[in-house]
Amino acid sequence: MCGIVGYLDRTNNEHAPVGCVILGMLDALGCRGPDSAGVAVFGPSSPERFAVRVKLGDHGDFAGRAEQVFGVAQSCGAAGALSTTGPYLRLEIDTAADPRKLAGAIENLHPEIEVVSIGCKLEIVKQVGSPRHLDESYGVSKFQGTHGLGHTRLSTESRVDLSHSQPFWAHGRPDLAIVHNGHITNYHQLRRRYEQHGVRFYTENDSEVIAIYLAGQLSKGAGLACAFQAMLRELDGSFSCLAATAEEFGFVKDPFAFKPLVFAETDRFVALATEEIALRSALPGDYVVREAQVKEWRVWQR
Amino acid sequence: MAEIDCGARSTREINAELKQWIQRGETDIVVRHPGARHNLAVAILSPARVRLEGSAGYFCAGLIDGPTIEISGSAGWGLAESMMNGRVVVEGNAGNGAAAAIRGGTVVIHGDAAARLGASMKGGLVIVGGNCGYMAGFMAQKGTLIVCGDAGEAFADSMYATTCFVGGRIADLGTDAVLAEPTAEDIAFVDDALAAWLPPAIRGKRPPAREFRKVVAGRKLWNFDHREWKLWQEAL
Repeated sequence: MCGIVGYLDRTNNEHAPVGCVILGMLDALGCRGPDSAGVAVFGPSSPERFAVRVKLGDHGDFAGRAEQVFGVAQSCGAAGALSTTGPYLRLEIDTAADPRKLAGAIENLHPEIEVVSIGCKLEIVKQVGSPRHLDESYGVSKFQGTHGLGHTRLSTESRVDLSHSQPFWAHGRPDLAIVHNGHITNYHQLRRRYEQHGVRFYTENDSEVIAIYLAGQLSKGAGLACAFQAMLRELDGSFSCLAATAEEFGFVKDPFAFKPLVFAETDRFVALATEEIALRSALPGDYVVREAQVKEWRVWQR
Repeated sequence: MAEIDCGARSTREINAELKQWIQRGETDIVVRHPGARHNLAVAILSPARVRLEGSAGYFCAGLIDGPTIEISGSAGWGLAESMMNGRVVVEGNAGNGAAAAIRGGTVVIHGDAAARLGASMKGGLVIVGGNCGYMAGFMAQKGTLIVCGDAGEAFADSMYATTCFVGGRIADLGTDAVLAEPTAEDIAFVDDALAAWLPPAIRGKRPPAREFRKVVAGRKLWNFDHREWKLWQEAL
């Protein structure tokens, strides 16, 4: 199961109510997976600073760790705007900081600490439980921006905790997030290959490899369109996958159509979801909905 | 004419009200704001007309025997699954597995159908005004499948005895699917079916019946033959 959603505002509004729309869509899909839920929202761009979101741990002294994380961040660049919500820390840091080094330094503090997202626009929040609780914990309905992704999870192959929840950030690459419904059957093979090259995996969740794979493709200079086509050649299994960067937003569907995915495209928005009920619940109006075909991929520019 | 407004009501309440109206002898029922809910208008066994003003979710009009179900929007997975008889008309697009395992009746999709259209159908007539996706007609056993637009990969794979007609391009034929020469009766049948079931605006954009290609089973998978081992290896 699992439910995935994506929304792109096309009205040239950097402050579109993306959080509210994504939550509305996820709420309609909550029955597809109540194990965990998360959103990735691409907010108004701020070229001078990265927003950094960090999981402080599963239990323990969050306040103490927060202080340590902030200290490390300050040693990497001009950091500020520190806030914490439960096990979640958010701070902002000058974009002069190297995101990979920054994440490494923060994660060295404690084995449970994980950088969940870094980006000029990207903000990921996720937690165990159904989508309904996301708003109570993080005020997601107030998140504004240009586009975003959402996920509600029914775990089938790996544990249920914050780290194993989606969306996944492509660790080290700012402003790239994915959500995935399906199974990557050559996951172990791919993972071994990446690990031989020194790539760190944070979870046992097969979806994580998609983020790593797409980050690799994008770092070669490919756009999402080329990355999706490569993914169709190299990843096996069932996938309805959505991915977004600061500038691009799209989906790719596996060669067997094992998993559902519908989309609607209008002058005002592009909306993607596992089931049409998500679109009809969150987006009123008259628009045509279509199921993606096998091996179909689409990319929209922001 | 009766009206049901789905509003915030549960699927069970909506379906129960539908059946109550039909029991009271109502033959024309409009369902407003279906909102792509799943399992609407299922297991209706009387010849009433039910019109959904909007989109339907999964398994709409499944297990029906006799009614006419119209959907003004699109339909999700498993449209009209296992229907015995009746008519299902979708004015938008349909998701995966539309008309799967139907035994009779007619399913009409004005727009496109996704993967596995008419898989394992055991009778009836399926008409798609637009294109169909991957593996349409997979293991289909009887009845007729007409696709006015293009057909996706593995078309009519491992089929038994359904007859298919395609107006557009076929991405590729599935295992043991072969092209056949349409007879004069075939052409007349397709012509009549399109005239009866598709609005002129859609029919007008599609090729005339005589240009449709006919696809049938090559019958090589009907009986196992060790000399055709290669074919069996490729079959699913």
